Amino acid sequence: MAGSKLSNLTKRRQRAESSGEPFVDALRAALSHNRVKWDGASRSLHSHDASVFDGGNSGPVVYPETTAEVQAVVRLANQHGRNVVPRGAGTGLAGGAIPLGVPVVVAVTKMNAILEVDEVNRVAWVEPGVINLDLTKQLKPLGYHFAPDPSSQQVCTIGGNVANNSGGPHCLAYGVTNAHVVAMEVVLPSGDTAMLGGLEAEPQGFDLRGAFVGSEGTLGIVTKVAVRLTKNRPAVRTLLMAFDDVRDAANTVSDVIAAGIVPAAMEVMDKQITAAVENYVGAGYPVDAAAVLLAEVDGLDSGVDIDADRIAKIGRSNKATDVRLAESEAQRQLLWKGRKTAFGAVAQIAPDYYLHDTVVPRSALADVLEQIYEIADRYDLLIMNVFHAGDGNLHPLIVFDGRQEGVLERVHAAGGEIITASLDAGGVLSGEHGIGVEKQKFMSRMFTNDDLDHQNRLRQAFDPHCRTNPGKVIPSGHSCADIQSLRSVPNTVWG
Amino acid sequence: MDLNIDEDDLNACVQCGLCLPHCPTFRVTGDETMSPRGRIKLMREVQDNDAPLTSEVLDAFSTCVQCRGCEPACPSGVPYGHMMESARETLADAGQMTPTWQRLAMKPLANPTLLNAGTRALSVAQKLKVVPERLGLSNEIPLTQSKLEATGSDVYLFTGCVMDTMQRSVHAAGLAVLTAAGFGVMPTGNAAPCCGALQSHAGLASETRTLAEKMMEGLEPNIPIIVDSAGCGAAMKDYGHLLGTAEAELFSERVFDMAEFLAMHMDRLPEPAAPLDLRVAVQDPCHLRHVQRVHEATRTMLAPYVRELVELDDEGLCCGAGGAYSIFEPELAGQIRDRKVASINRATPDVVASANPGCSMHLGAVGVPTKHPIELVHHAITGARGL
Amino acid sequence: MSATLAVTDPTLLAFAEEVGETDAVAIEGGRTRWDLGGIPDGEPRLIRAPEGIVEYRPEEMTVQVRAGTSVGELHATLAAKGQRTALPERGGTVGGALAVGENDFRALGRGRTRESLLQVRYVSAEGKVVSSGGPTVKNVSGFDLPRLMVGSLGTLGCLAEVILRTNPIPAESRWLHAEGVDAQVVFDALLNPSAVLTNGTEVWVELEGHGPDVEQQTKVLASLGSFSDAEAPELPAHRWSMKPSDAATFTPVDGERFIATIGLGLIFTDSPQPRSELDPAVVVISERLKANFDPTGRLNPGRMPGRN
Repeated sequence: MAGSKLSNLTKRRQRAESSGEPFVDALRAALSHNRVKWDGASRSLHSHDASVFDGGNSGPVVYPETTAEVQAVVRLANQHGRNVVPRGAGTGLAGGAIPLGVPVVVAVTKMNAILEVDEVNRVAWVEPGVINLDLTKQLKPLGYHFAPDPSSQQVCTIGGNVANNSGGPHCLAYGVTNAHVVAMEVVLPSGDTAMLGGLEAEPQGFDLRGAFVGSEGTLGIVTKVAVRLTKNRPAVRTLLMAFDDVRDAANTVSDVIAAGIVPAAMEVMDKQITAAVENYVGAGYPVDAAAVLLAEVDGLDSGVDIDADRIAKIGRSNKATDVRLAESEAQRQLLWKGRKTAFGAVAQIAPDYYLHDTVVPRSALADVLEQIYEIADRYDLLIMNVFHAGDGNLHPLIVFDGRQEGVLERVHAAGGEIITASLDAGGVLSGEHGIGVEKQKFMSRMFTNDDLDHQNRLRQAFDPHCRTNPGKVIPSGHSCADIQSLRSVPNTVWG
Repeated sequence: MDLNIDEDDLNACVQCGLCLPHCPTFRVTGDETMSPRGRIKLMREVQDNDAPLTSEVLDAFSTCVQCRGCEPACPSGVPYGHMMESARETLADAGQMTPTWQRLAMKPLANPTLLNAGTRALSVAQKLKVVPERLGLSNEIPLTQSKLEATGSDVYLFTGCVMDTMQRSVHAAGLAVLTAAGFGVMPTGNAAPCCGALQSHAGLASETRTLAEKMMEGLEPNIPIIVDSAGCGAAMKDYGHLLGTAEAELFSERVFDMAEFLAMHMDRLPEPAAPLDLRVAVQDPCHLRHVQRVHEATRTMLAPYVRELVELDDEGLCCGAGGAYSIFEPELAGQIRDRKVASINRATPDVVASANPGCSMHLGAVGVPTKHPIELVHHAITGARGL
Repeated sequence: MSATLAVTDPTLLAFAEEVGETDAVAIEGGRTRWDLGGIPDGEPRLIRAPEGIVEYRPEEMTVQVRAGTSVGELHATLAAKGQRTALPERGGTVGGALAVGENDFRALGRGRTRESLLQVRYVSAEGKVVSSGGPTVKNVSGFDLPRLMVGSLGTLGCLAEVILRTNPIPAESRWLHAEGVDAQVVFDALLNPSAVLTNGTEVWVELEGHGPDVEQQTKVLASLGSFSDAEAPELPAHRWSMKPSDAATFTPVDGERFIATIGLGLIFTDSPQPRSELDPAVVVISERLKANFDPTGRLNPGRMPGRN
């Protein structure tokens, strides 16, 4: 931007010279005026992510462009006694990126370069703001992709994927983000940088890379990531099966795995969600079936036919009423588009939703689903189910209108029972959304105090002063969860 | 402050964020306030919680290109374009948005004589090199125009305002191709001077409605109206919503984009003398792809007439032209265009086919060779040289 | 397999008792990597983790197993149901294999050791049983201590019991061998070989999968050189870890024999790898980790991952 031709926008942005806040002025001196936002509207917008949780207004929102700028922000925050919250696209569902205690929000969206594609080492070095699907698209001409494909992949960032150890339908065969992050440069809570992991077969020392992935932004800010390149499979078969009973679909999933087949993905949607999805994408989903199972196998031509046949047989033996193969790549894409936008599509039904995320053993799927429908009845709520059936990852979706009196209480109570039912069946709290602020209070249902204390010891090895994304993951009663400064600032009206 | 946005529309947004990458201003700024999700949240705060209209809030609204790329990306079907139009209309009426100079700039659009005079003046000025570069105008603003002659009365060819003064050759090509396909064509000329799209984007709703009514009065009923400007077509297809009358609904139903119409009549189009020996990248104007959603027709129409069609890899992200946006927000428009140009360069085309004059001018201003798809078809049919 | 809360298994509680709260202890597996990261200082009390498979659920592709169980015994049990794990078989225990963290030289086909661990139970320096992770394949409930435990050489806790992910053994498996072909070219041409090895002149490839898939990939190999059925090569004793790109162009000192794993980055040769220095910022965190998990330094004193 040439200084001589300042546009309206630049002029508007430079209207206010001093913010009256030394911290903000220091940030602006370190970055630039228009990459440090301090106005009420910006701070209000950053009070939330895609979840139902609201952290209250954030402190300044900064948009660094380099590792050095991230370091400068972290060091300034330390000097001014302020906390730091990293943020990608803000699509998290557990409130992991909401600001507690008026922290500086470090949005990495401007660090969005694909730095290097290293085919021999099968990695790409990328900045944290690169959008997951953009990376896969850029890799396509070379014959590779980035395997984790969360439903938000068209918008979520690699940095966010690292923070949440993101999954997605195709993690059934390929593994979650942890398996696809080889090395990364991070800015530690001290402001120093460190290289975690490495391209070597077996990097020396503790696996700090592994510990960092999935730490929900509490251990530092990732600034460069070496992600693994997965070779595109020459053949793929996508099966669409319809069932009259959700239980039959769940049993099919269990039987497929028991038969020694690991499909690339196995997804189930129940009747109501299928109707909403079909209304949006028009992919040809059977809208009168009680459950739809989407199963995908990929690999070489010969092998995928064998697996597709076996899966179809297993489906039929579980009373599948219809078994279809996607006829074209276009239809396959449309089916997946439907599956991946399912959560948003429910707004056609009611204006609010609460998406849960628990995992149960595959063999318990049918029983837990039955309990979930029973819970829905009892609380007079509409609960739809769309889930990564292949790895037992349930996503009960409570659809409601928050304007109704008392509905939120019922939504939360039903959610609590769903979590309990999942844990009782031998499952876990979260498969891919993380704990954030959403499930902190449930952590003690899965872990003992000693277990949580040890998790906290890991956290404090990176962040002894609890400055980075405090108040997340570890529940109240442990340090980093209860520090004094975590009062939230009311978020309604800006000035 | 009540922005006059439908409450149900506001509530339809569940803040999932799937729209973010499809928003050109979010793409180039990475800033939540410059995203559809952010702007909707701001609308909500202003309308429901009486949050003050700070300069940042007004910036967030006025920097929206209104490309509506977020709409097809939204699984909840949030009618973002209409919400933003309501917000802008309310704010413009309240004197909070669309300053007087922008309103004045729109005046001549509705008046062909004034517009022609203005364009000629601009053309002369450009040749004298006194036009500010930041206006981003294309290199050759024509000084004189040949007249369009009617060839029958089967269909209207909407000639409009800016398009008619800047790119009458496109109309001429469209008229020739339609005629070659056996349709008698009536250019609308002064009977329908302007569609009102630019006014509508600026929040000048009463002006828009006046223009819409004027057009509906000026044109004979039941005759299909063919539009070769995507922005105009989108606006005219929205008259039903704008005026809320059955008559307007009926009017909108007979509006067709040029390619949309011809794609339905491919059997009537003449064979090419020779397919143009060109690799053609199709640049979908937002109002063709995201609003009218008939962009596939451009491909159907072009395919027989060119050697090769190539897709851009940015999924129809806006080019930054946005009607008058490139003049009002040149800095953002330039950054958005840079992304588009990079995508075009990756596709390595000989020429870019764009069915909207705004896009053509905006891209042409940085040297991207653009042609209207109908011009390519015309060239292929007539075997004309010198493309 | 139940969720992790409240360990009541008397075997684990007895092991916790044995580890205790005071004096230095060193945990012994098969002693196959006893000097890695430094030989235990002084004369720590030697302990062994409990043995035995607790629960094997082939339909869930998981197995709950005590850390003292030998990898060979575990794999024999799994093979009866057509499954295996990523752990390398080199005569040691499950706990040892995880604490060391080495990968099988066929990790491209079998998975990496660090990715096979779903849930860990270890005895802390305070003598308490600590659990982390969970029994399901997918899990992001809390901080990922299982990842941290893999390769930690027992310096943060004594591994007691784990849940591992199992995988189906492919229908067909085949080793092929050829001379005079470029191993990197071979690797790039195949879809997902389980192993591509070279000693600079010869190439060995392991193909696994459905019969017709192995057949198809064998045809790809035939187009690159004259491959014939073979046994896996014998591997020299010392392993070097490097980038796959460096492994592909590796030349040994003094013409020692070597086997390089293409695409993985392991080299097997006759002399030990010269160690490089760790990033100083990483050393700071590692030392804090050790201090936080083992404040008195009683767990495997003298050892530290990454130390020569």
